[in-house]
Amino acid sequence: MSPPDAPESVVVIDDDYAMRLSCGKILTKMGLPADTFEDGAHGLAAVAATKPAMVIVDLKMPGMSGMEVIARVHEIDPQIIIVVITGYATIDTAIQAMKCGAYDFLPKPFSPDELRLIVNRGLERRRLALESQRHEIEQTMLKRRFVTFVSHQLRTPLAAIHQYLDVMQHLDQASDDPARRREWIGRCLARIEELQSLISDWLTLARVEGGTLVRERVKVDLNQVISDILRTYQETAAAESVSLEARLPASAMFVCGDRNCLSVLFDNLITNAIKYNKPGGKVTVSGSRSDGEVVIAVADTGIGIPEKYRAFLFDEFFRIKDDEAKKTTGTGLGLHISKRIVSEMGGTIVVASELGAGSTFAVRLPAWSEPGCSPGPAGGQNDAEQEATTHCR
Amino acid sequence: MTATVLLIDDDSDFRAAVKSLLESHDYKVVEASTGHEGLRMVAEQKPDVILLDVMMETTVEGYGITHSLKYSDEYSEFRHTPIFMISSIEESPDDRFPMSAEVEMIRPDWYLSKPLDIPKLLRLLDEAVGARKGAVA
Repeated sequence: MSPPDAPESVVVIDDDYAMRLSCGKILTKMGLPADTFEDGAHGLAAVAATKPAMVIVDLKMPGMSGMEVIARVHEIDPQIIIVVITGYATIDTAIQAMKCGAYDFLPKPFSPDELRLIVNRGLERRRLALESQRHEIEQTMLKRRFVTFVSHQLRTPLAAIHQYLDVMQHLDQASDDPARRREWIGRCLARIEELQSLISDWLTLARVEGGTLVRERVKVDLNQVISDILRTYQETAAAESVSLEARLPASAMFVCGDRNCLSVLFDNLITNAIKYNKPGGKVTVSGSRSDGEVVIAVADTGIGIPEKYRAFLFDEFFRIKDDEAKKTTGTGLGLHISKRIVSEMGGTIVVASELGAGSTFAVRLPAWSEPGCSPGPAGGQNDAEQEATTHCR
Repeated sequence: MTATVLLIDDDSDFRAAVKSLLESHDYKVVEASTGHEGLRMVAEQKPDVILLDVMMETTVEGYGITHSLKYSDEYSEFRHTPIFMISSIEESPDDRFPMSAEVEMIRPDWYLSKPLDIPKLLRLLDEAVGARKGAVA
């Protein structure tokens, strides 16, 4: 396969001298390096050596036929675009050639414009194919790195729990220390919760990556979703001496989406706001409608987010390292998942922050309107897929 | 005389468990949670043995520390301090790092995996400290 940035060159194989000459001229004028050959054998040798972007070959030649050239070129590099030149009224053979791997055909006689058109289209097609191939490789590499990273994240708490228990067992043989045992049992339980969170987040993310997250599009009242979440975390917040305030309109705030996903979206923001707060601090969730959008803001009175981290905030696994132990727990996936959900719903999420004062995350989502919820933007799923149960958790 | 063990690992729970274990076996344990802090502690505390986590956070910091201790002039005094490298993954350095430079730095039998096997750890530490005391004397 030729390297991505290699100049696109063309090989022309035709036993007709005049054809070789004129094709060569036209291609050169297009800025494409072109080599011409009078038979398949020589042409193929050049293809193997130079790995051109395109081969233009006459179907009817003495010696090696155009069809055979097609097969051989395909063997050398399936990414090479093949255009066949055909004689008068030989559509059948042209179609035959295309079934064997030719991209397009050019019936004689053809004008320079016709040649140019086909060449440009063919090269464009090849560029797109290479692009998507590169993207696939990149995705595979990312996936592999992801797996390594997550596996480490899972092993770390397990190793700590196992070590505690092993040492506890060992030390208990010699002496009894109930205080230490109590403390270590507490720590093991905390690490187990951490593990469970991670696995849960990881699964959610896998669904997001797999594109199966936001499928259901129904009318959802965000007022209700958020009120439910705030109710759920009432006690947790109180335990952290953080108060929760809702400034939501009396009327419903309807959007089109998946209720579970919207719940995950705001759950992440609200739990962050509680976690990254000061004792005696506050979390304020406000909502409003404007210009066909629903805007929800989650504000905390925490320590704020340093400028240098803001660009990375929504990245996978990103966590701001803090001296206090509690702030380094968490998977670093919450904001990433939230952003993915927002994006899939055609909305935006931004953060504003002031060091020492706090941060505010603002989510904008398209508001529901008549005539109702249509299939999603990234959609195109058929009804069968839509009926399949997909959950964010 | 009590031997000093320097434990470099970013997981505070893991450190707590290992520290209790070693203290109950009459070792003095000093801790560091990052590579930088670890190097500083080496100079300050002059440990008899170092237990070093290979992968702290997402970078493979542990090898960098070992490299500094073994090859840089700044730490020449500590070139022969035994270093036990600890990994969450059961994998030999050969498998993980086919580059010979890294592998040469580490004694294969001093590459341990978490959770640490207690009798094995105690035995290895005992041998390593014993050998050093012998050499120094």
